[in-house]
Amino acid sequence: MLAATPHNTLLYAVIATVCLPLLAFIYQAVKGRSAQTGIPSITAIIGSLLLASYIAVQVWNQPPIHFQYSWFTLGENTFYIGILLNNLTALMLVLVPLIAVPVHIYSTAYMQGDAGIHRYWMYLSLFCFAMLGLLVVDNLLLMYIFWELVGFASYLLIGFWYTRESAVQANKKAFLINRIGDLGFLIGIAIIFSEFGTLDLHALFSENGLLSQMDNLSSTWLTAAGIAFFIGAMAKSAQFPLHVWLPDAMEGPTAVSSLIHAATMVAAGVFLLARIFPLFNEHALLVISIVGTLTACTAACFALAQYDIKKILAYSTISQLGYMMVGVGIGAYDTAIFHLLTHAFFKCLLFLAAGAVIHEMQHLKQHVQGDFDPQDLRNMGGLKRWMPKTAILMGLASLALAGFPLTSGFLSKDALIISTFEWASERGLVYQLIPALLILVSILTAFYSARLIFKAFFGEPRLPYFHGVEKHPVHEPGASMLWPMVFLGICCLFPLFSLNPFSSSHSWILSGLAVPHSFAAIHALHLLIPSMLVTGTVLSITLAWKWYAQDKYPLNAQSALMLAAEKQFYINEFNQRIWVNGILGIAKGAYWLDRHIVDGLVQLFAGCVQYISKVSSWVDTHIVDGLVNGLAALTYWLGNIFRQAQNGKIQSYFLAAFFTLFMGLLYLIFS
Amino acid sequence: MISITHFLIVSACIFSLGIYAILAKRNAIMILVGIELIINAAILNFVAFGRYDKIHYGGQVFALFAMVLAAAAVAVGLAIILNVYRHYRTINPDQITDLKD
Amino acid sequence: MLSLLIFLPLLATALILALPTSYRNSYKYIALVFTGIQFVLAGYAYMQFDASFTGINQEAQYQFVEHLPWIRLDLGTIGKLEIDYFVGIDGVSLPLLVLSAFVMLMAIGSSWNITKSLKGYYALLMVLNMAVMGIFCALDFFLFYLFYEVMLLPLYFLIGIWGGERREYAALKFFIYTLLGSVFMLLIIVGLYFSVTNPVTGAHTFNMLLMMDPANYASDGFFSQFAGHEVWGIPTRMIGFIVLFFAFAIKIPIVPLHTWLPDAHVEAPTPVSIILAGILLKVGGYGIIRTCYSIFPDAGLAAGWWLALIGVISILYGALNALAQRDLKRMIAYSSVSHMGFVLLGISSMTAEGVAGGVFQMISHGFLSAALFFLVGVIYDRVHDRDIYHYRGLAQLMPKYTGYVAITFFASLGLPGFSAFIGEAFVIIGTFNAESVGTGIPRWMAIMGSIGILLSAAYLLWTLQRMFFGETRLYGGEAWSAKLVDLTAREQLILFPSLALALILGICPFLVFDNLNASVINLVAMVRQYI
Repeated sequence: MLAATPHNTLLYAVIATVCLPLLAFIYQAVKGRSAQTGIPSITAIIGSLLLASYIAVQVWNQPPIHFQYSWFTLGENTFYIGILLNNLTALMLVLVPLIAVPVHIYSTAYMQGDAGIHRYWMYLSLFCFAMLGLLVVDNLLLMYIFWELVGFASYLLIGFWYTRESAVQANKKAFLINRIGDLGFLIGIAIIFSEFGTLDLHALFSENGLLSQMDNLSSTWLTAAGIAFFIGAMAKSAQFPLHVWLPDAMEGPTAVSSLIHAATMVAAGVFLLARIFPLFNEHALLVISIVGTLTACTAACFALAQYDIKKILAYSTISQLGYMMVGVGIGAYDTAIFHLLTHAFFKCLLFLAAGAVIHEMQHLKQHVQGDFDPQDLRNMGGLKRWMPKTAILMGLASLALAGFPLTSGFLSKDALIISTFEWASERGLVYQLIPALLILVSILTAFYSARLIFKAFFGEPRLPYFHGVEKHPVHEPGASMLWPMVFLGICCLFPLFSLNPFSSSHSWILSGLAVPHSFAAIHALHLLIPSMLVTGTVLSITLAWKWYAQDKYPLNAQSALMLAAEKQFYINEFNQRIWVNGILGIAKGAYWLDRHIVDGLVQLFAGCVQYISKVSSWVDTHIVDGLVNGLAALTYWLGNIFRQAQNGKIQSYFLAAFFTLFMGLLYLIFS
Repeated sequence: MISITHFLIVSACIFSLGIYAILAKRNAIMILVGIELIINAAILNFVAFGRYDKIHYGGQVFALFAMVLAAAAVAVGLAIILNVYRHYRTINPDQITDLKD
Repeated sequence: MLSLLIFLPLLATALILALPTSYRNSYKYIALVFTGIQFVLAGYAYMQFDASFTGINQEAQYQFVEHLPWIRLDLGTIGKLEIDYFVGIDGVSLPLLVLSAFVMLMAIGSSWNITKSLKGYYALLMVLNMAVMGIFCALDFFLFYLFYEVMLLPLYFLIGIWGGERREYAALKFFIYTLLGSVFMLLIIVGLYFSVTNPVTGAHTFNMLLMMDPANYASDGFFSQFAGHEVWGIPTRMIGFIVLFFAFAIKIPIVPLHTWLPDAHVEAPTPVSIILAGILLKVGGYGIIRTCYSIFPDAGLAAGWWLALIGVISILYGALNALAQRDLKRMIAYSSVSHMGFVLLGISSMTAEGVAGGVFQMISHGFLSAALFFLVGVIYDRVHDRDIYHYRGLAQLMPKYTGYVAITFFASLGLPGFSAFIGEAFVIIGTFNAESVGTGIPRWMAIMGSIGILLSAAYLLWTLQRMFFGETRLYGGEAWSAKLVDLTAREQLILFPSLALALILGICPFLVFDNLNASVINLVAMVRQYI
C-alpha cells in the first residue's frame, strides 16, 4: 500500500541511509574478531551522509513526504511501517551522520589496538542505525522501537570495557533510567492510541491532523500524555532528576561520549518533543520549561566543581539540554533545534579534544609508569605548550559553548534566550525568573568552560613528569584524530548557520522550521540580551583567567558546598538509598512473603491436610476398624464360651445329652 | 402282691446307678458297667411289662434279644477299651481328649 | 491431519518401548525424528491455515476439523451420553501448536546429555508430547480433560525421577497442585454436561462449541444464562467461571497460586523446565481463552476487573521476587510468573490489542523462557551450581555464551525488535484502551503493569552485570574455569533458532497476528455483547 509515491528514489535513498549502518553492524557481527579495521562502518556512515544530504536537498522546504506500508493488523486497527520526511527530519538526518563521520574517523586512531575493537565498530554502527531510524519513521510505535534501540546501543557502548566494574554499573544505570523514560513513552503511546486510535505522526500532528481538529479534548489526558512523553524525553535527554546516568556514562570510550552522550542520542529527547509538539498543551509546556530551567541551573552548578574533564563536559551537556527543553517549553522549538544543531558540533569537538588530551595523558601514564588519573584536571596544566592545535580547537569550542560572538553558540543561545524573554514578558513577573536564570547559567557556562581550558592548557604543568624529562610522549594527536576536530571546529563558526554573525533571525534553520511563535517579538531585546550575555561572558572568563591560569584561586576547594556540587548534591546517594535499596528491600520482603506467607499457606494447607489425614487415620483404626474388630472379638469370645462344651470328654457330652433329654421329658410331663 | 410299680422302682434305681456310673466314674470299664446297668434296667422293664403280652411273650423275647446285644456290645466295648489302653496307657476318659479342638 | 500430529508421538513411544535397551542410543534420534515430523506437520498446518476463519464458537470456522462420534451410551432416564473425538484449530490454537512442536524439539535437543534410564525418559517425553498437542486441538471438553490429565502423569515422573535434589517434593507439589485444579475443572465440566444439550441429537454433550451458545442450555439448566440459578447468592455462571479460572490459573500461574512453579522449575531437569515454561504455562492462558471466556463470557466480563488486578499483582510480585533471588533458575522461574501476568492482564482487558498481545506474549515467552532455561542448563551442566554470586566476569571465559545470554535477557526484558516487546507493549496499550471500550479495566492497571517492564530490566541487567561482567572470579576457582567451556555446536544449534524466531516475530509480528486476528475479534465481540 504505497501512499502517493512520486519519489520512489527518495524512498530507496531513505531506506539505504538507515540500513547501511545496519548492514555494517551485521557484517561486523558475522565476521567477529577478524574485522578490526572499521572500514565497513566508516563506509556505511559516509554513504549514509551522502544519501542523507541528497534527501535533505530534496525534502527541504517541500511539503512533508510520507511513505506508508501496512505492517500488521490488530483488531480493527492497522499498524503501519512508514517514513515521514519534513524539514525537521531532513536537518537531523544530515546532522547525525555529519557528526558521526568525524567521530568514526577519529575512532580509528583513538581505539587503535583495543582488544574489543570489532565490538566497538559493531555497536557504533548499531547506534547509527537506531538513531537514523528514529529520525525518519512515521509513527510513535516505530519511534519507540528505535528509541529503545538507541538506548540499547548506548548501553553496549557505555559498558564497552566490561571488565571495569564502574563501566558495567554505569551502563546498567543508564539503561534502567532510560527504561523509566521508556515507560513514560509507552504510556504516552497508550494514551494517544486510546484517545485517537492511531499512532501515525502525520495523521496526528500535521496541520490538519487529528489534534488540530479536536478542540474539546479531555485536557487531563492530553496533559498526561504530554507529561508522559516528556518523561521519556527527560530520561533520554538527561533532564533533572533523571540526568544521573549521563555523568556515569562517561565510562564509555571518549569518542562514544562525543557522539552519543553529547551530540546525538541525548538530543533524541528534544527531537521527539519537536516532532510531536502539537500534542503539548499549556500545562505540559510549563512543566517542560520548569524542568528545563531546573536542569540547566543544577547541571551548571555541578559542572563548576568537577575535576574530571569528561564529567565537566557531561554536565555542560546536561545544562545545554536544559536550554533546549526550555526552548521547547516556551513553544519555540525551532530555537531548541537550532541550539541542538550548534551544540552538537561544538560539544562533539569538545569531547574529541578532551579525548585527545586523555589519550596523551594515558600515553604519558604508560610511559612513566605513573599512577594518576589521566582524566583529572588537577593532573593537567600547561598542555598548550605540547598540544597547541588541540588547545586552539578546544578553546574555540568552549567559546561557542559560552556563546561568544562569531561562533554558532552565540546565534542559537541568544535566539533561545531572547525567545524566552519574549515569552515571559507576556505572562508575568514570575515567569521572568526563567530567562533570568538562563542568563545566569550562561555566565556560569562561560566560567566553567574557561576553567576547563585554563586549568588544562594554561599555567604550569602540575605533574612532576613534565619537568626535567627530556622526551615525553605528550604531543599533538595524529592526522586521523586532528582533521575531524578541525572539521568540527569550522562547523563551530557562524557562517554555517547564519550569514549575519550577530543576528539569528535570518538563519536558514529558523526560517526553514518556520514555527509560529505564540508570543510577539520584542526588537529591543535583540540588542540588549546579546550585549548582556557577552559582557557577562567576558567578565566571567576574565575572572576564570585570574583564578585558574594565574593561580590566584581565592576559594576553599574543600568547602562543603564545593564537595556537595561535585557529588551532585548527593543525588546518587539519595537514589541508591531510597530507590535502589528501597526496591531491593521490597523485593527481599516480597520473597520472604512468598516463602513464608504464600508458600507458607500452601505448606500450612498441606500440613492441615496431613493432620486431618492423621486424625482420620486414627478414627479409621480406632473407630471404624475398631467396630469391625470389636465384632470379631465378640464372635471370638462367644465362640470361646461355646467351645467349652466341645471339651472331648465323653462323660460331659453324655451329661449334656442326658440333661437335655431329662429336661425334655420334664417339659413333656408338665406341659 | 408285687405290683408292676415295684419292678419299675427297682428298674429306676438300677438306671440311676448306671447313669451315676457313666457320669462319675474315671474308668472306662466302670462306665461300661454303668451302660450294662442301664441296659439291664431297660431289660427289667421289658420283662415287667411282658406280663401284659401273654400270647407272644414279646417282652421276654425282647429281653433275651437285648441281653445278647448287650453281651455283644460289652465285648466290642471292652475291645475298644483295650485298644484305647494300649494307645494312651490310660482308660480315664478325661485324659483321652484328642477329639477336642 | 491433526490426529496424525497428536498421535505420532505415541508411535514413537511404542517404538522406543519395543526396542531393546541395547539400542538405547537410538532413542533420542527416534524422539527427534518424530518430533521433527510433527514440527513439519505443524508448519504445514500453519502454511495451509486460512486467516479469515474466525474460530472460537463456530465449528464451521475451525480448520482441519475431525469430528467423530466416540462414546455413545444410552443411560436411560439420565439421557444419552455423547462424547466426540472432536479436534480442530483456530487462530488462537494454531500459533500455540507450532510453538509446542518447536519447544518440544528444543527440549529433545537439550536432553542429549541425559543418561539415566533413557527408555523411560523418552517414552514419557513422547507421551507428554502427545498430551500437549491434544490439549491445543481438542474441542470436546471430555477429550480436553483427558489430555489435560494425561499430561500430568509423565511430568510427575520426569520431575520425580530425573530431577534435582528435592525432586520428590517438587514433583509431588506440582502434581497435587495441578490435580487440585483439574478436579475443580471436572466439576464444572460435569455441570456443563448436564446443562447443555446437542440441538441435533437432543443428547447431553461435552462439545465445547455447543457450550458456547446460550441457546443450547436447558431452560432450567444449572449453568443456563436465563435460569438465573444462584448458589449462596452468587450466580452459578460466575461460580462456573471462577472455578474453571482457578483450574487454569494454577497453570499460568497467578499469584498466589504460583508456589509450585519455582520448586518444580528448580528441581526439574533442563528439558522439563523448558517444556514447563515453554508449553505448560501456555495451557493455562489457552484454557482461559478457550473455555473460561468462551463458555462464560458474561461472567468473564463481570470478573474482568479482578482478573486484571491479579494479572498486575502477578507482574509486580513476580518481578520483585525475581529481583531477590540468588539462584539463577529460580529467578527465571519468578520472571515467568511476571511475564505470564501480562498474558492474564491482556486477556482480561478484552480489547483486540490486549488479547492478541496476550497470546503473542505467550508465544514469545514460550521461545524465550525455553531459551533462558536452556542457558541456565548450560552452566549447570558444566559445574552444577546456579548461584548468581558464585560467578563473575563470565564474559571473558565464555564470550559466545555471554552473547547468547545477553541477547536472550534483552529479548526477555522487552527490547524492541524482539517478540516480547510486541507482546508486552500491546498488552499495555490494549489494557489502557479497555477503559475506552468499557470492559471495566482501569487505566492505572496498565501503568502499574508497565512498571513490571522496568523491574524486569532491573533484575535481568543486574544479573548480567553480576555474573558476566567485571573481572573473572569464580566460586570454584581454577577447576571451574577449566570446566566452563564455551557453547558447543549442538547448544548453539538449539539456541540460535529460538532467538532467531524471537527476532523474526519481533520484526514481523504479522506472522502471528494475521492468523490470530479474526479469532480474537470474534472472541472480543462475543464477550463484549454482554457490556
